[in-house]
Formats: sequence, C-alpha cells, structure tokens
Amino acid sequence: MPKDMLNLHDFTRDDLEEILLRAAYFKKKDGKLFSSLQTKTIAISFWEPSTRTRLSFELAVRKLGGKIISFNPGISSEGKGENIKDTVKTLASLGADALIFRHRIPGFFQRIAQSTGMSLISGGEGCYQHPTQALLDIFTLQEKGIDFTGITVVMVGDILHSRVARSHFYVLPLFGAKLILVAPPVLLPPALVPAGVERSYHLENVLPAGDVIYFLRVQRERQEKGLLPSLGEYAVLYGLNEKRLTLLKENALLMHPGPMNIGIEISSRALKRLESSCPQRTLFREQVQNGVYVRMAVLDLLVAGRVV
Amino acid sequence: MDLLIKGGILYDPAAGWEGPAEILIRDKKIEAVSPSLGPVEAPVLEMKDKLIFPGLVDTHVHLREPGGENKETVATGCAAAVAGGFTAVACMANTSPPVDGKETVAFIKERARRADLARVYPIGALTLGLQGKELAPLWEMAQEGARGFSDDGRPVMNSGLMLKAMQFALVLDLPIISHCEDLNLAGDGVVHAGSHGYRLGLPVLPSVSESVMVAREILLQEAVGGKLHLAHLSCSQSVALLKWAREKGATALTAEVTPHHLLLTEEAVGDFDSAAKMNPPLRNSADRETLQQALREGVIEIIATDHAPHHPCEKEGDFLNAPFGVVGLETAFPLLWTKFVVPGTLSPAALVNCMSCAPARLLGIPGGTLVPGSPADLMAVDPQLQIEVDARRFYSRGKSTPFAGWRLEGFPVMTMVDGDIKMWEGKVKGFSPDFPGREELLCRNN
Repeated sequence: MPKDMLNLHDFTRDDLEEILLRAAYFKKKDGKLFSSLQTKTIAISFWEPSTRTRLSFELAVRKLGGKIISFNPGISSEGKGENIKDTVKTLASLGADALIFRHRIPGFFQRIAQSTGMSLISGGEGCYQHPTQALLDIFTLQEKGIDFTGITVVMVGDILHSRVARSHFYVLPLFGAKLILVAPPVLLPPALVPAGVERSYHLENVLPAGDVIYFLRVQRERQEKGLLPSLGEYAVLYGLNEKRLTLLKENALLMHPGPMNIGIEISSRALKRLESSCPQRTLFREQVQNGVYVRMAVLDLLVAGRVV
Repeated sequence: MDLLIKGGILYDPAAGWEGPAEILIRDKKIEAVSPSLGPVEAPVLEMKDKLIFPGLVDTHVHLREPGGENKETVATGCAAAVAGGFTAVACMANTSPPVDGKETVAFIKERARRADLARVYPIGALTLGLQGKELAPLWEMAQEGARGFSDDGRPVMNSGLMLKAMQFALVLDLPIISHCEDLNLAGDGVVHAGSHGYRLGLPVLPSVSESVMVAREILLQEAVGGKLHLAHLSCSQSVALLKWAREKGATALTAEVTPHHLLLTEEAVGDFDSAAKMNPPLRNSADRETLQQALREGVIEIIATDHAPHHPCEKEGDFLNAPFGVVGLETAFPLLWTKFVVPGTLSPAALVNCMSCAPARLLGIPGGTLVPGSPADLMAVDPQLQIEVDARRFYSRGKSTPFAGWRLEGFPVMTMVDGDIKMWEGKVKGFSPDFPGREELLCRNN
C-alpha cells in the first residue's frame, strides 16, 4: 500500500478492494469508537474551499481516535510553493503523521510527497484527481449490490475540469465498468477521453444505456471564462429534466459528488419526481454518508499501521 | 601558432570529406587537410581514432546575461557550449533588459570575448522591450554584430508589425527567427493537449497554437521575401505547412527542431516532472515520428538545443509554476549520435550538417566546415566513450534535463576555437583547475 494517496493509479485493484472491505467493516460497526489512530496526529489543511470533504475527513479521524491539527491557511493567500514546503516540514517536526490537503494546483504535492515521511492524502487537487470521492462512489455502488462487470456508467458534465472524473477514468474500468462521457465539445476534447472509454455530445443518445448516471457539477466560472454560452443553454442540452427521465433505464441509479446545482445538472421538477417516486435510485445522500467510512479505511490502512 | 592534428577521422560534409585526415592549422585557420601531409614543421596533437567534425553551431540558446545571472552567464553558457562540442552559439534576446539596442549587443559580445571560449552571436529583439508594439533598431543592432532578429520566448502577435519587420530585415539580409505561438490559443497552457496532459488536469497548449502561426509566417514571407527561420518546431502540422511552402517554391525558409522534440513525447512529463516542461511542449509519438522524418528528408535541416537554463530552485517548484525550459548544450550531440547515428537512421555527415554547416549558413557566419581558409573551429568525438548523463556535472548553471540518467555515447572530448583548445576530455579552459596546458597536450601526444 503506498504511503500517499495523491491519485488512484498508484493503487492496485487489490489495494483498493482492501480499502473498500475495511470501509464496509467500519460502516457495519458504526457508532463504535476505534483507536487505530490513537497515537497519530493528522494535519488537515485545505487551500481551496470545501465543506463535505473536510468534515468527512475530520469525522473519520475522530472516529479512529486520532488527534487533529487543523489549520486554515487562508484561501486567498493560497500559499506559495516554498511556504507550503516549509509548512509540511513544520508539521513533520511537530510530529504529524499525515497531512490531508486540498489545493488548486494539479501536482502541487507530488514533489513534496517524495521528500517527506508523512502520508499525504488528497482531498481533491485542482483538475487532477479526487481519489476518496471516486472510492466512495465505488463503495456506494457495491453496497447497492452492483456487479461492475457489464454495467455502463454515463458521466455527464464538466469532464474537462473534473478531478472526480479523472479518478474514475482509472477506477471504473479497473472494476470492469463501461464508461461513457457526455459533455459539450468544449468540455470534452477527444484527447481527454481515455482508451476504452466512449464519448458523446448528445445526452439523449446515451441516457438509455446507463445503469448509473453520474452528474458532475458545472461551475459558474466556466460561463464567465467563455467556455459555455450560458448555463441555461447547458441545462437545456445536458440537464436531466422530466422528459429525459423517461429515457432512463427502469432501475438506473443517479449519483452526484455534490454540491448539486439544482436547475442546471438536474431540474427541480425531475429531482422531486425522482425522490417521491423512487428515492432508492438517487444515491446523493448515501455518497456523503459513505464518505466517512471510506476515509476511515484510507486513514486506517495508509496511516495507522505505519511507523514514521 | 601552428598545429598539426593527426590520427583522426574527419567528417566535413561541406567539403565532401569523410575519412582519415591530417589537419594543419596556421594563424587560427585551417591551412591544409589531407590524408597525409608528409613532413610538416608543427607541434602535433595526436587524436588517434577520434572522429573530427567542424565545431557545432547552435542557432538557439539562452545565455540569460544580462539580468538572469543566477540561471546562466555568457561565460557559463559558453563553457557548457564547448563542453558539448559547440564552437558558436546564437543567443536569444529575452534577457533583462532585453537585447533591443546596440549597447546590449556590444555588452554580450564583450562578455563572450572575456570568456574566450565559444563564439557568441547575439540575436536582436524584433520589437522594443519584446513588447510586440514597436520595431527595435534592427539596423543598429546588425551593425554591432547581431546575426538575426527574434522576440523568442514570445510571439509577435501583431501581424502587421511582423510584416514590417520582415520588410525591414530585407535590407539587412539577416534572418527573422519566429517563435510560432498564438497566445490566444495557447492560453495559460503548460503541457501538450494530449492524453497525458489531460490526464494530469493541467492547462493545455494545443499544437494548433503553433501551426496557425507557422502558416502566418509562411504567408507573410511569401508576400515580403527575406529570410525566415522557424524556431523549435514541435508538431506534424507545422512540418506539413513547411513542406507545402517548399512545394510552392519558398526559398530562404528554414526551420529547426530540438533534441527533446526529436526524442521524447508528452509521456516524459510523467507525474508532474518539471524537467520535461518546455515551450513548445513535448507532443505525441506521431509528432515525434514526423519530426524525425522531416530531419531525415532535409525538410528541417537545423537541430538547435533551445538551451534554456533556470536556477534549480525555480525548476523544483510545482509543475504549473515552474518556468519553461531545459538545458541542452551538453547533451545534444551524444543524444543524437546515440539515438540516430549509432542505429544507422542518420549518417554522421547528415548529423554534422544539421548541427554545424546548416546553422552556420543560416547565421551567415564563418565555420561549419574545415576547408582551407576556414577558422580552426572543430571538435573531436571519442566513439568508444559511454557516459551516463549527470546534470550535477554540467558547466551550465541550469541542471534541469529530461535526459538525466540516460547512458549515451559519442561525447565530444576536444573542442577547439580559433586553433585554441577550449575543452579537453570534459575539462574546460578557465573552468577546470586541472585543465592541461598546451605544451602538456602536445608533448603527451607526441
């Protein structure tokens, strides 16, 4: 098992299965306090805003009995390379065993990870990867009894800027799922699409194929940067509305890493219809809940057993 | 001072020479070349079984002085040059202040004179302050010794201004060297817009940001005339445009390619390795094949290093913020020798044509051949010598290279400028405390 989790492709399928098994165990024993991080100090620092990922990691550390050094570096200052290197050294000197981080710049911690004994665990890194999000998605689907072999996941949204998508590029095919990406062409350049993955510019053409429909958040700044003419236009072409609900497979499951833009990725009417008629098909809440167990498992396997 | 070089095998494509040769040097010039000169009154430099080439000429280096002395100086850059077998380099104008007037041209030439290693030919800026707004004093810089003009590092986005620059350069008969990049298409990109770059989630620099400007420059040159040289081409589309222009009859149109674009692809970036960050970026394997083929077919006839040293601290930051550029002078020849000449895809004569004759011709400078009357600028290679690339041993202040750890052969073991030995077995005159004296070399080899 690698010491850091900056991406998923450094992990073998066996590594990942072990993490998922451990997560299932923690979920089964929910409510129990564990002590595997009792002697460990975990630093948490997010250089980019986050609510659920950060809370989820904090809760995971506490449930494993670990101590947290939480510091807010100030989102606006964002941190120059040297400062952060110093910060990491300081944390190591203070006895931190791991640093859970989020940062705007892809690959920011790559070199730093090589120069420290601490475990560096990504809570999302620019447009690079968001490993624990992809793992909790896999966990959530496994829990629903999904056998990945032969299923099709349709992923729709801002693929170009999505760190969640880039983690899934590796892990979904690894588990045997077929992946279809859907987005406007400017957010889905052909070279971005990995070998073995399909792409489409037309949501309606691929919705009927999806056993799982995975929505990615479309950020408002994409419109400001001129990548999309308007979010309204995006919603018309790529949003899930009531009419498109009829195209879904009967048992298709819907996922979103959050936070969702209601009215853009999914219309409020479509959401209401789904949640009233078949709530078991929307996994948004389960994704959030499972995040804690998956992060517990990651910390338990990467940090708890290791002597720094 | 006279000197007779014996025992070597000479490759001089400009003279049609390929074979054993004795070379007599008199008054810093080549006096005679012959398989056997017979009895000659001159001290002998024994170069038994070494391969002798005209000194290499690099049309594209960054010496960073003035203003960037923490990255490189004219002296350290020249030391790197002679260590790599280069006897002449053309240095780009993006210093601080930029080379946009005769004073800076004179300053660099003076620095080179003091370093007394390789010949240095400054390239003047095309526009004042490299701002792309007003033409720099091209004539004045040419009078002072500038051998071409370029805003290298950034393109001249204003097509009207580029047209005027080409018109003005007609009078001077000097090349305009274009760094082809459309800034609107390049955006804030740092890696090739290929599968690897996208996988890393970094902003991308698409090939089309280069090729649209290649097309523009070709069309401007067609309209105006004059000498146009396209710097560091990186992609298939640019090569196709170059071929198209040639088929239409374009003359005085040349292009260069770097060793890293010939040998590497975007995969070399690995997981955010800034030693593979340069502009233009490393592209895909089809681009690399096209560039290699263009070199073999003579469509591209110049290999230039784009030696772009940076202080190690700058390159050690994260990939996104690390500066573009890697060093190249001390690895270029052995890289191409090992990867192209040894496997037989390029002849030694073809390689030396790309790295010496053609570059000298473009810059309109002496050198590139050892026919009698030429300056005694040459270098010798030990074909038996294999060395692993170790950046810590570079004379350049820049240590960032994507070729660290590569085991290469064909390293230069002697570099001579004006009949004076500047590098001997990796030691550089004025830089290595144990650099051997002339007598020592001549006596030892007698």
